[in-house]
Amino acid sequence: MPALETFLQAIVNGLVLGSFYALIALGYTMIFGVIKLLNFAHGDVYMVGAFVGFGALSLVSGVVGAGWTGLAIAVLISMIAVGFLGVVIQRVAYQPMLSAPRLSILITALAVSLVLQNGALSLTEGSYKAFRTDLGFGGFEFGRLFISHQAIVLVATAAVLMIALEFFVSRTMYGRAMRAVSIDKDMCRLLGINVNRVVAITFLIGSGLAAAAGTMAGAYYGSIWYFMGFLIGLKAFTAAVIGGIGSITGAMLGGLILGLLESFGTQIPFIGSEWKDVFTFAILILVLVFKPTGLLGKSEVERM
Amino acid sequence: MTIRMTTLATAAALGIGLAGTAQADDHEILIGIQVPTTGSEATYGQDMFNAAELAAEEINAEGGVLGRELRLINGDSACDPQQSVNAASNLVSRDVLGIVGGYCSGATMPTLKTYGDEGLPFVITASNSTQLIPANPGNAFMINSTGADQSKKAADFFEAQGVERLVIIDQGDSYSQDLADLTAERWESMGNEVVRRETVNKGEQDFSAVVSNVRSSDADAVFWTAYYADGGLLIRQLRQGGYRGTIAVGDGSNSPQLFEIAGGAAEGVFAFSNPTADFLPAAADFIEDYQAEYGQDPGPYAPLNYDGMKLLAWAMEKAGTTDSAAVVDALATADGESWLTGPIRFTDENTLARSNFIILEGEDGAWSYYDNQ
Repeated sequence: MPALETFLQAIVNGLVLGSFYALIALGYTMIFGVIKLLNFAHGDVYMVGAFVGFGALSLVSGVVGAGWTGLAIAVLISMIAVGFLGVVIQRVAYQPMLSAPRLSILITALAVSLVLQNGALSLTEGSYKAFRTDLGFGGFEFGRLFISHQAIVLVATAAVLMIALEFFVSRTMYGRAMRAVSIDKDMCRLLGINVNRVVAITFLIGSGLAAAAGTMAGAYYGSIWYFMGFLIGLKAFTAAVIGGIGSITGAMLGGLILGLLESFGTQIPFIGSEWKDVFTFAILILVLVFKPTGLLGKSEVERM
Repeated sequence: MTIRMTTLATAAALGIGLAGTAQADDHEILIGIQVPTTGSEATYGQDMFNAAELAAEEINAEGGVLGRELRLINGDSACDPQQSVNAASNLVSRDVLGIVGGYCSGATMPTLKTYGDEGLPFVITASNSTQLIPANPGNAFMINSTGADQSKKAADFFEAQGVERLVIIDQGDSYSQDLADLTAERWESMGNEVVRRETVNKGEQDFSAVVSNVRSSDADAVFWTAYYADGGLLIRQLRQGGYRGTIAVGDGSNSPQLFEIAGGAAEGVFAFSNPTADFLPAAADFIEDYQAEYGQDPGPYAPLNYDGMKLLAWAMEKAGTTDSAAVVDALATADGESWLTGPIRFTDENTLARSNFIILEGEDGAWSYYDNQ
């Protein structure tokens, strides 16, 4: 039954794509939650994550090889390093702009995006870097359905990271503080919550998740370059909007939904893979027109 | 006020004087090299620039052109139509006397008008989409075999391989779509069927949709007509997705970089290629010089760009002037003189009057010559 196999393959493809979107969308939505900023540099943080992961892997591969262990270490290093980069970006670029009009900080985010992109461009001379691993091309095959080992590990890792985040946000002190700050910053200050630290932690986690996605995407797809964060950043933003920007569960859900929609959308006859991006951004427009709060977002009067 | 007027007049006079001196004492001939030195195709572009530089250095060492020294200006096209037009206007405004280069056909296309309006001699070294031919105002000369020659080579190869279910994938740009269309046309005129055509977006990393379409169409051969950076990703994901049939790539993907990006997946992949330095009998010295100068192997298009630079210099010498119209006329008279990549003679449409395609196969992480006869 080829139809069933095609259907299942589309689900597998959608889950892989959706995992990337969800991990990046989380950063968008968390940062929007605490400082009401659409961090358009987030896609580029993902790109930097891929390059740091790439560097880390070439450092550790001499000792532990470029297999699963090496990659796991590279992902960790990249998450930590880029997480702190996120904090630095927040402190240097966004903190001084917090009291300025909302538009100024949005423009600052675009500037940060350009700095990261052009920084990577000048460091890499604009060429593709091959992200070499020893993971091989193995997988499970059922007729036309094929699930690679990499896809399984990737989706599982994304799931673990998201469950850990959910735990952090709902069960720990800082998680609670983060939710409180997203509701009322001034009240939190009055109650003695260190708002600056909570914002910093949010950037740390959001950027770390993007870095994990970047490193895994590099290993999964096999090459990285300075512009890789642009499109996926916009798509993750779309995912965050679908889920309801500001909602963490919404971002996870939105990422998976967008991945599956893209994967199934390109299977519709006469809508080939060249229409993939059109499909995504048409959805963004539809959501913004008909349900601007997304699936799980709460309505709130906001001026950008 | 008077003082200001005087200053202005002096400045103007000085400006004219300077401009006059600059022209009178000009010992240089500026040549624009239009290749993508940044962006997805930067590797090829840098190789091509290096090759032109090598050629110019050799020419300068032998006394230059018409007693003047060649100086190259990089017009980075970034394989992007918008940026290439900007780069072209910039080159024109800096008074270059000729252009060598042109890699991505899509990026070369709009510059034809920019250079054509000035009548500048333009030697197109790598771009080979047949769409360039009708757009050529007459000042451009293509020294690479065109997509038509390549599509014939490809269709003959697939037939020889016993391929029955062919899938052709392009990237929607002028070069890859042209090659895909021509190959599909030829393949169908030979009584075969193209079971599926796919187009992917440039810069896209996830090809899972294409891979499942290839698998569900029971293809026994996939032909990728676009460039190596995305081609490497596609090949990798095809193999990762369980596709085991033949994979062939067009001349935009015959780069060593393909092996870096695709890894082991590129083993056994076939590429249609213009004669690269490794497979050119006359190129041994060129390879040596290039390695000595740049510490790496020349890329597949380096010989063509080297020839392009030499050909332009030859035409200037032959015309006895750097006047654009005269140089263009001189280029048209190229009559089978032998160059690194072989003899160059142009058709009435200013295209190379012969096919230069060969077939390569991926073997142990490098291209090797494959003879399918």
